[in-house]
Amino acid sequence: MSKASVFYDKFERHSHGEGLKGHATHYCPGCGHGLAHKFLAEAIDELGIQDRTVAISPVGCSVFLYYYFDVGNSQAAHGRAPVVALGHKFANPDSVVISYQGDGDLASIGLAETVSTAQLGAPITVIFINNAIYGMTGGQMAPTTLMGQTSSTSPSGRNEYNGQPMKMAELIAGLDGPVYVERVALYDAKQRIKAKKAIHKAIKLQVEGRGYSFIEVLAECPTHLKMDPEATSKWVKECMEPVYPLGVKKDLTVDPWFKRNPPCFKGEKLLSLAGATYEHPVRSCKGFPTHLAPQDISLKLAGSGGDGAQTAAMLIARAAINEGFDATHIPSYGPESRGGTSYADVHVAEDEVLNPGAPDPQILLAFNTPSLTKFGPTVRKGGTVIYDSSVVTEAPVLDPSIKVFPVPFTGIATDLGKAVVKNIVALGALQAATNIFPKDTFLTAIRVALKDKCALIPLNEEAFAWGIKSVEALEK
Amino acid sequence: MALKERPKPFLLPEYCKGCGRCLDACAKDCITLSDQINPLTGLVPVELDLANCNACGLCMDACPEPYGLRPAHEGEIQDFELEDPAKIFGVKPSDALEPVDIPSEVLPLPRTEPLVIKGTYASALGALIAGCRHVYGYPITPSTEGAELMAKFLPKLDGTFIQAVSEVAAVNMMYGTAGAGLPTMTFTSSPGFSLMLEGVSYMIGAELPGVFVDVMRGGPGLGNIAPEQSDIKLACHGLGHGNTQAITLAPSTPQEMLDLTILAFELSFKYRNPVVILGDGYLGQMTGKVQLPESMIKPGIPKWAVYGDAMHRKNLISSIFLTETDLEAHNVHLNAKYEAMKVEARAETFLCEDAEVVLIACNTPARTAKGAVQDLRNQGIKAGLFRPITLWPFPVEDLKEAIRGAERLVVVEASAGQLEDEVRLALSKAGVRQFPEIESVRRMGGILPQQNEIMAQVLGQKEVRA
Repeated sequence: MSKASVFYDKFERHSHGEGLKGHATHYCPGCGHGLAHKFLAEAIDELGIQDRTVAISPVGCSVFLYYYFDVGNSQAAHGRAPVVALGHKFANPDSVVISYQGDGDLASIGLAETVSTAQLGAPITVIFINNAIYGMTGGQMAPTTLMGQTSSTSPSGRNEYNGQPMKMAELIAGLDGPVYVERVALYDAKQRIKAKKAIHKAIKLQVEGRGYSFIEVLAECPTHLKMDPEATSKWVKECMEPVYPLGVKKDLTVDPWFKRNPPCFKGEKLLSLAGATYEHPVRSCKGFPTHLAPQDISLKLAGSGGDGAQTAAMLIARAAINEGFDATHIPSYGPESRGGTSYADVHVAEDEVLNPGAPDPQILLAFNTPSLTKFGPTVRKGGTVIYDSSVVTEAPVLDPSIKVFPVPFTGIATDLGKAVVKNIVALGALQAATNIFPKDTFLTAIRVALKDKCALIPLNEEAFAWGIKSVEALEK
Repeated sequence: MALKERPKPFLLPEYCKGCGRCLDACAKDCITLSDQINPLTGLVPVELDLANCNACGLCMDACPEPYGLRPAHEGEIQDFELEDPAKIFGVKPSDALEPVDIPSEVLPLPRTEPLVIKGTYASALGALIAGCRHVYGYPITPSTEGAELMAKFLPKLDGTFIQAVSEVAAVNMMYGTAGAGLPTMTFTSSPGFSLMLEGVSYMIGAELPGVFVDVMRGGPGLGNIAPEQSDIKLACHGLGHGNTQAITLAPSTPQEMLDLTILAFELSFKYRNPVVILGDGYLGQMTGKVQLPESMIKPGIPKWAVYGDAMHRKNLISSIFLTETDLEAHNVHLNAKYEAMKVEARAETFLCEDAEVVLIACNTPARTAKGAVQDLRNQGIKAGLFRPITLWPFPVEDLKEAIRGAERLVVVEASAGQLEDEVRLALSKAGVRQFPEIESVRRMGGILPQQNEIMAQVLGQKEVRA
């Protein structure tokens, strides 16, 4: 009855509070917004949540809600209010967030945000003002405009080519997310009491953490309906209400569920998630493998998805970094989600990897014939090629300066009982063929990588040893 | 107990718009529409004749104006029309508290061994270290890993990850969380970043912080998912409608993905403005050595936030300035802020001191160029690399220094000249009229320039295509 204390004592934001604007709303005579504002203000008062309330006002006539409400205010882009509301709600779960939207905003440009937020079901409250017209832009057709109703963009009346009016309360009630959906009106004292109660209840459900609530208010826009206020009220009752039946559309009894802990800022927790370790790894290298290159070694690992080329590449990079060198690994895959090609460019540098790509590698580890055929000719003179002789039957002719090691990765791994360790066999072969790092450097990297799957360590160590043995056998 | 007497209504006619809702509400016909236009409002207010009024209050319930029909308390205003409204309603607009900054805390982080992680992973960790616990995103290759990591990490830190219905929704969730004063970010890629630009413009207008990691891919349109430096123009000159600018960072290693993400949050709050990190698909996927810092941030709440508590009740987050002079003043303020951001310009120079050929590149192409510089030096050519780390503001002072002795400038980029345009614009704005003709090594479509292509350009060989 008396002015709700939620309204500012003076509307400083309304034209700097000058003259009458300091105490009058910007709404036209007979507009429904004023009453909806009043009921909202009264509900905030009654629930004692003024300090916790954040009102979201998106584009439309009600974008200036923040002129009047002495609460936290956030003004949003056209249609985006419900997701802005979510951003506020998840930032401070104790805040009470109200998204106050018109029909163009909610039912047209923001439809995706409206529906997805309702379905998400997080406790926010949406007040939807349906006046069947665009107000702020000057009387264009809204998604809620009635059939036959004229507007500046439906000058001969809305017809079948404009489609039927959107019944938002029913649409929202049809979703699983919301707990409470009601459509109310303002045209007489009885409806106003219902509207006030509905808005109060919708906010209370949020305060109690029970879920998303949606109140559609059939409101008057005399200016753009080109009627006097009394006739507009009558029009809402006689023309709008039959299309948009009043009443509760959904009312679930739900226990409070929205309880969120404050975010964690414990350093140890964060580091453990990151997989960080405090222990200095054991170093086995005496220095950078300058017998391969003075500063920077480039490797290519190539195979099909599932060959383990990327894991092997990652282990080389880890091994190098554990030894205090720099390393990079760039994977590249074919477009297929499974199978297809799988290539890895690896660099190991004493100080800093300059160019991480490996278009002309010094070392190639090839898991199949196409990879060997494709990348074999790119290997630099004096380089090393190691390939899976279990699957490559015919090797291409390479520059005679290149050392070639055919090693049956797959055969050995299969004999060990797990074909997936063929990439570890390959790493063993790489170690023996190039001596890029000592054996222990690789074994340390393998053990660290398998620290959560300790049972697999012996098998992997065996595979690695077999890779070394195969190369040694070739060299004899 | 005596019944409390109910107050009858009173009305200042200038606050009545004459909608007539109270007429129907009154059962005693006390209210009529005046036949006089109120000279102050140009509207026709209602008139009250309270002789028959039983103080039912329904008229006051029906009145939509906060200062319309109100209860006349006993002994209060008798001849209210002579009263100054300021005296009736008070002059204090609100009893809301005056907000103060709740500062962020810097917490120690134990020293750890270097991680061996991908660029995207490094950026996600950087955000967590910078105190970000609210991430919103929409899956888009090649940035999706960022969202996936956050979806995995954040619940374990009681944080929030929401997969939005679209990039448009994601950026507006950021708007909400940023409006509440908390650090927030998203991972996206070029087409997704296009969709976010409306929200970026609103965030800049409303002066909200937020970090956008755009792992750029080939375009235009759907293009492809391979790396291209396709959004330099967008980030530097097209952040949505209006007078918008944001600091734009271009990392080139996984370590920088971490470091620059942490820096992005700091700058974003320092200037109350979004910060864009432009990465490329290679960088996102590239694994490298990443050393974590020895401190992390627990964010506070800035005094301007709309957090949804007593302290911040008086605040407003908004980009509307309806009066032209107000909006002009806001833009003057934004321009001053953009000017102040220029001190954040950063660049790396590599062997430029005596360089006769200066390569200019950023992101992954900068690393390729670095390899080329080394090779050229090995061949006796005095080559150097200038790598802008901030693309906006462009580090033009560093560039001027780097190219002082240059006889040739070669811009190496995976785009149709977007970086070169930045170089030219920066030099032009800095009044540099004399500089060597700019040569270019460009690839597009998701192909990065290769080292041999750079070498061929510098050595004057026939174009080589990998």
